[in-house]
Amino acid sequence: MGKNKLTVEKLSKQFGTNEVLQNISFTVEEGEFLSILGPSGCGKTTLLRILLGLETAESGRIIKDGIDIAGLPPAQRGMGMVFQNYALFENMTVLGNVEYALKKRGGSKKARSTALELIERVGLSGHLSKKPRQLSGGQQQRVALARTLAVNPDIILLDEPMSALDVETRLALRSEILDLQKEFGSTIIYITHDQEEAFAMSDRIMVMHEGVIQQIDSPHKLMDQPANDYIRAFVIHNIQVKIDSLIRYSREAK
Amino acid sequence: MKTSGKLTAVKGLLLIFFAVSVLLPLLRMLARMTTVDIRGLLVSGPFLAALKNSLVVTAVSTLIAVFLATLLSWLLERSRIRFKGLFALLFTLPMLIPSISHGMGLVVLFGANGLVTGWFGLKGSIYGFWGIVAGSVMYSFPVAFLMLSDILRYEDSSPYEAADVMGISRRHQFASITAPFLRRPMLSTLFAVFTLIIIDYGVPLMVGGQYKTLPVMMYQDVIGLLDFGKGSVIGLVLLTPALVAFILDVLNRDKLTLSFVARPFRVRKNRLRDGLAYVTSGLVSLAVLLPIAAFLLLTLVKKYPSDMRLSMDNISRAFNMGAGANLGHSLVIALVTSLTGVALSFLVAYMTARTPGKLSKILHLVSLISLAIPGIVLGLSYVLFFKGSLIYGSLAILILVNLVHFFASPYLMIYNTLAKLNEHLEAVGQTLGVSRISIIRDVILPQAGGTLAEMFTYFFVNSMMTISAVAFLATAGTRPLSLMITSFEAQMLLECAAFIALLILTVNLLVKGLFTYYRSRKERSAYEPDQAAV
Repeated sequence: MGKNKLTVEKLSKQFGTNEVLQNISFTVEEGEFLSILGPSGCGKTTLLRILLGLETAESGRIIKDGIDIAGLPPAQRGMGMVFQNYALFENMTVLGNVEYALKKRGGSKKARSTALELIERVGLSGHLSKKPRQLSGGQQQRVALARTLAVNPDIILLDEPMSALDVETRLALRSEILDLQKEFGSTIIYITHDQEEAFAMSDRIMVMHEGVIQQIDSPHKLMDQPANDYIRAFVIHNIQVKIDSLIRYSREAK
Repeated sequence: MKTSGKLTAVKGLLLIFFAVSVLLPLLRMLARMTTVDIRGLLVSGPFLAALKNSLVVTAVSTLIAVFLATLLSWLLERSRIRFKGLFALLFTLPMLIPSISHGMGLVVLFGANGLVTGWFGLKGSIYGFWGIVAGSVMYSFPVAFLMLSDILRYEDSSPYEAADVMGISRRHQFASITAPFLRRPMLSTLFAVFTLIIIDYGVPLMVGGQYKTLPVMMYQDVIGLLDFGKGSVIGLVLLTPALVAFILDVLNRDKLTLSFVARPFRVRKNRLRDGLAYVTSGLVSLAVLLPIAAFLLLTLVKKYPSDMRLSMDNISRAFNMGAGANLGHSLVIALVTSLTGVALSFLVAYMTARTPGKLSKILHLVSLISLAIPGIVLGLSYVLFFKGSLIYGSLAILILVNLVHFFASPYLMIYNTLAKLNEHLEAVGQTLGVSRISIIRDVILPQAGGTLAEMFTYFFVNSMMTISAVAFLATAGTRPLSLMITSFEAQMLLECAAFIALLILTVNLLVKGLFTYYRSRKERSAYEPDQAAV
């Protein structure tokens, strides 16, 4: 850690008269896990789509490894994305999903072995020939992860990847994602509206509200020195409620 | 961005296509009206009489058809009788032959020399009001049946279970659960059936006799007297109910979201109800099969009723008079219409369902407009607009008019399918470095296969049996098979006309059968793991 992986400078975006992003600036360090935390409609998904190149910003720069990538097409930015609801190819098998892009980019033999390795890594070797609808939500999420990792991106963006999963699966996937990050040395930008998730996983959290960054700090610092009332109300209060209920639960359990 | 520029260009081209194939011909027809004394025509005796006839006969037929369809769809969806699939197939059989053959069926059975008339020594005439009603019910019943069956199949049973628990009587359950649930779909069905009947000239032309309706008047003015101006005015009048239905439909479409996870009904044992279901379904099946059996008899005997020996005379006469060539025309028209229709509606639906924007919304609305244009009106406007152009008098114009005429329903089928697929598929492709075209070919098309086959079938079957739009546009060298029914009937060659109806039915049944086979195979394979991929 320590080296700047991604620098975003003064990014702005409007839809009609609606200012979705206002002067967004931040940096992400190599190997960092950065969460973007905010309620729906705060502009976090738009930000992700702009970083990926699926959407263009009105103004601002995106610099990755010292190069301005704002003009590059999505596939040349070295970023991978795990979409909300996974967006798997329903007509293809697990193996088909993971090796598809590799095959399209040439080298079908290499594609097969890379895909098999990744599927093994996410623990789905026993489900190679199943279609997505035959898998559980958590398994589908793992396929989506493997598919994204297949093209070897150095930054991985995840858009609310756990929102459709049950609590148990979420907890299991949390540590799996962190393990994968370590193994592949990826930098991760993780969108969520779940405070607890952000606090449990991140090196730093960026809190967004109405298109503006409210605060960007480590979980600790966010708790100790909230920048404004919004952080106090939206972030800390919610965490406090959860901690309180946990304490009450553990007391009653005794 | 480059890609969005390309998409806009494609949408622009599609809009131009619809402008040329739908809007301009219609405007041309409206322009033609300026040469007519419209007010004089609209208050003239014959016109008012035909208008009144049309309204009365359509209203009565609509009520009967929808009543029957409600009863039958309810009996099939909420009873425990066997052979439901077979009954449903039989009920929709009339959709596979031209409306005019329903009129002919009545003539063959109940006309002056009719089969049933002869056996029972009946008197009275099928020609006139009740003839049109009977034929129109026959022809529109399947549509109403399909619409209502669909609604009933997806009704949620949990409100009824809750009502049972609370001890609410059956009568109150009907009033407070069933009636409100059915109100909107019932209204849609009534409008659809009314529109279908009021613009049809096949049935009234055959059995109307002196009871003249507006479409028949228009048909005779245009085909018989070549009075395009007057025809245009009547065309505009016929456009009105369809336009009203269309606007209501578009307004309602977005609101109508059925709850998707409905608890299916557990039908209890009820001997009386099931008995009633068998009897009614049997009677309706008989009513459907009787004309077809009559066509078969008429075709296969030398001369009914005087010479009952089996013979191929009628068939060979029909072929001597061009049935072979016209069957060829029909097959070419139906095949090309289906292929281009499927491709075009897929392209349009891809744009409107998966690439958002203002142009997409306009394109969506324009695509649905054909739903509101009666074939007879479309045919006339094509005559006026394309006369003198390169395609006039060729198979191409028949293909084009069918494509536009039948566009809306298949378009909606594929639109719904594409809108349901995950919205991020193309974005996934972009981040993985896979082009939009590849995603369409490798991911979207394979998942739309069943819908595409259904669309193909829809275009094909309708192109085989339509007479309304093509009647004005066909020449001796391009005449489709369906139009031979009209001409054989005019020459009093009912036997040959019956054979043509059977021929169309056979081709359409084959195509339908192939589709059903394809779909059942696809459904089975959808849940099996794909072994070949490993």
